Amino acid sequence: MRNPSRLWQEYVEKGKAEGCPVVNSHAHYGPYQGIYFPGRGEAESMIKMMDRAGVVRAVCAAHAALVDPERGHAVMAEAIARYPGRLFGYWAVNPNFPQKIEAQLRAFEQAEGFLGFKFLSDYHRYPITGPNYAPALQYANERGLPVLMHTWGGSPYDGPALWAEVAEKYPRAKLLMGHSGYGQWDLALEMARKYDNIYLELTAAYHANGIIERMVREVGSHKVLYGEDLPWFDPQYAIGCVLCAHISDEDRHNILHRNAERIFGWT
Amino acid sequence: MRFFDCNACYGIFDVPPAQYAATPEELLAEMDWCGVDEALVTCAAQRADSPLVGNELVVAETKGHPRLHPAWVILPPQTGELGESVDAFLAAMRRAGVKALWAFPARNKYLLSATTFGPLFEALIERSIPLFLPLTEAVPGLSGHAAYHFGWQLIDTLLAQFPRLTLVAAEQHVWGEDRYFRPLVERYRNFYLDISTYEQGRGLEDFCRKYGPERLLFGTHYPEVPMGGPVLNVLNADIPEADKELIAGGNLARLLEEAKP
Repeated sequence: MRNPSRLWQEYVEKGKAEGCPVVNSHAHYGPYQGIYFPGRGEAESMIKMMDRAGVVRAVCAAHAALVDPERGHAVMAEAIARYPGRLFGYWAVNPNFPQKIEAQLRAFEQAEGFLGFKFLSDYHRYPITGPNYAPALQYANERGLPVLMHTWGGSPYDGPALWAEVAEKYPRAKLLMGHSGYGQWDLALEMARKYDNIYLELTAAYHANGIIERMVREVGSHKVLYGEDLPWFDPQYAIGCVLCAHISDEDRHNILHRNAERIFGWT
Repeated sequence: MRFFDCNACYGIFDVPPAQYAATPEELLAEMDWCGVDEALVTCAAQRADSPLVGNELVVAETKGHPRLHPAWVILPPQTGELGESVDAFLAAMRRAGVKALWAFPARNKYLLSATTFGPLFEALIERSIPLFLPLTEAVPGLSGHAAYHFGWQLIDTLLAQFPRLTLVAAEQHVWGEDRYFRPLVERYRNFYLDISTYEQGRGLEDFCRKYGPERLLFGTHYPEVPMGGPVLNVLNADIPEADKELIAGGNLARLLEEAKP
């Protein structure tokens, strides 16, 4: 039997689907050490990919911001200004410079187009439960902001086992589990099922066959967000994984845009 | 567009993905679901059990399914496990209708080198038989980026020894690995890429503009990866339709037509 999804058919025929304005909740921006990006991974290249795949918005953490937040946020702000309504930012927090975090939070308040925070704990080798993240988490909690946290299965810094503590301590922060705790699926799904403020984010997870179906079946499509690490991964590949999953088009709409629209306040 | 998957697998794995095809019939159903027409297939037993068992199974189980084309897994000829001689092995391939081979040196514990495979690889070159090598198969027990790094290094070493070998680098890391494979593409004309896990944003477009579409083989790496991602990645790439046709299936069809065991 052919996939009867109307969305799948539209993507097969046109490369995008009317009425499905995809939101990428997990994007980056600019060059990075370990990969060659056509177009340097910068705005024009990203917008081109988004346009071809029906992705209307992307929320990005500049790679540079994950190393040096001040420099990276300036780069991201410039891209946001050039593509208003298309590119948005995550305010990256580097916990290895705790003395700078309070000032960075004050700067975040003045920054246009930045919607929440991004933690990259595995790379920074600092746990999401550590005190250096507390100011940003408290800030997000007070304002109900999204916090996209990179996760990887088994990680001592951001693995799903650490998420219960953060979710309980900051119940109003919207915690987006980047990569859905890749590989440690049982615990990641349990966290998203148990805590209202934990959402599963699909970057890379989408290519683990059958995981999207499990998320929808065991957690619900209202807790799953589309993302693909743009400019790393092609949206056509990632969206194709969502569209060929054995779920309903209602679920696909939830994953591809509705949940993000709700979380980021675009409804 | 005709999609001819260079890398699909069915059967029962020791550690199965969340979703898989236990039989060729289930694999065909998933191919139908995603619009994949044909596939070069291995069965799980070839990888997770033993090539001795799996090579026989994949031929027997795909018989009567003309959309599925069985591939075999190699072992060092010196042990005689897959035939008394290289000629006997090739004759068995002919009888079974097998036109492509896979190597899993890490899991099957051997050196993929001229010392081990010299006469067989010379025969593969003479007969234009493609050899698929997964990138994670260079060193037993390695995982993550280290495994892929050594995989590319093994390919570089192997092609230096057998520059005319038709070698397909399979199952590359999802982080675009252009910095590893572009030098190999430029040096070795019979070097190909299974793009089942090549997720690089605008990767196909950028590669084709510089090198053309001839070295790229559509694959799904099913059941590890859902088929729809690799399908849309090719179908909606920003490249000419003729290039898509070659990548989707034309290149693999040509390789298999040219292979004469």
